[in-house]
Amino acid sequence: MNWKPNPFAILGLAMLSAPIIAQAKIYVSAEQAQKILFPNKQLTKTPILVTDDLQERMRLASSIRYPFQGDRIWKAADGSWLIIDEVVGKHEMITYAVGIAPNGSVLGIEILEYVESYGYEVAEAHWRQQFAGKTVKDPIKLNQDIQNIGGATLSCKHLTDGVKRVLVLYDLALKPK
Amino acid sequence: MMVRCQVLLGTFVEISIDQDDSQALDKAFAAVKQIQDLMGFHYPVSELSQINRWAHQVPLKIHPWTAQVLKIAQEVHKQSNGLFNCGVGHRLVSAGLLPRHMNLSNHQLGGIEDVHFLDSELITSPKPLCLDLGGIAKGFAVDKAVESLIAHGIKSGCVNAGGDLRVFGQSPRSIQIRNPVAPMELIDIGSLQNGAIATSGLYFTNRDQQQSHIINPFAQDESEAHINFSDSYSILANECVYADALTKVLALSSAIDHPCLNHFSAQAIRIAA
Repeated sequence: MNWKPNPFAILGLAMLSAPIIAQAKIYVSAEQAQKILFPNKQLTKTPILVTDDLQERMRLASSIRYPFQGDRIWKAADGSWLIIDEVVGKHEMITYAVGIAPNGSVLGIEILEYVESYGYEVAEAHWRQQFAGKTVKDPIKLNQDIQNIGGATLSCKHLTDGVKRVLVLYDLALKPK
Repeated sequence: MMVRCQVLLGTFVEISIDQDDSQALDKAFAAVKQIQDLMGFHYPVSELSQINRWAHQVPLKIHPWTAQVLKIAQEVHKQSNGLFNCGVGHRLVSAGLLPRHMNLSNHQLGGIEDVHFLDSELITSPKPLCLDLGGIAKGFAVDKAVESLIAHGIKSGCVNAGGDLRVFGQSPRSIQIRNPVAPMELIDIGSLQNGAIATSGLYFTNRDQQQSHIINPFAQDESEAHINFSDSYSILANECVYADALTKVLALSSAIDHPCLNHFSAQAIRIAA
């Protein structure tokens, strides 16, 4: 192990300079997530119209109030599905992809983006807008390198709720009847 | 360069490597998933849940990785004079922080010191156990992911399991840790090469109004079991499993010169709130 401490941090002065704000991380694009979850499979975009009734049932199952957008759904010929969704919490916004096998089981979950900021900002539409359409190739905000952030363990509870609502969606709207 | 993130071990596991090799990343994530499946308290079918259910009744054959984690947990328990003890699962269950798989109320529970190895992968216990490996398995998983990457020819990278991380390879990486006063702000603490850092802090727990998950193993009853603090405690070590476990020793003792740290060639960083 070779550790070179930041002398300012040791003196407790690191905070005198402008703080580094933990920020957005873009891991993979939607296309890359498809390749990770369904290598060698052809997927067809299959958007659905989310009725109020379906929206309400998804909300009840997951306690996520932010509405589900039905435009990021793909289907494979064998009955597999790929759904991209995001959860917007008080402190973070996470975009994730869920791969569902033909038998309805979860094949895998991949995180596309993780954005954290000060509370209220995340929930505001115009604040989210600045990340829309960005890809892995577009570094956004402050540090362009991948940050190595240590600290207390982040909870993934919101994401667990998100996956719950995606499974309700599958059950009610996508599963072959 | 590639970076990916998956949800494992109840948190976000991020792996970045300095070359393009998605198969190596898949293998590394699979190693972390295997540790989750073996040692997760949440899964009634995990090996850990089997140990908690049966170890006091029959000798159990366990996976070499589980055996390795239990041995390291015993080593840190011994060197810390009992301050690090995985036998606190029942406290976390009572507080609603872990799921209840069985009725624990009428048992005299043992600790990590009660796990006896009959051979290298066969264990038994004289007392019922309610072990939780949440304070050590994340660090172990980071180490196994790093080993997997190296075995698949990856020269350098970083594995970060929700804030417990290890960097490997020639290039030093700068490390930021969260400011316990404002966890969205980061403090640059310097650069690390071929080493690990893990942190214990309650700032997210306090923000989300949850009971502290840092447990005093010597507590006689529920009321004094949960330890509260507002500082952030980090440990630097060669391997993440030791960094992870030793943060509990540091957080419980708040002694940055605890002799146990020296024994494991670890260094402590405390950030005052």
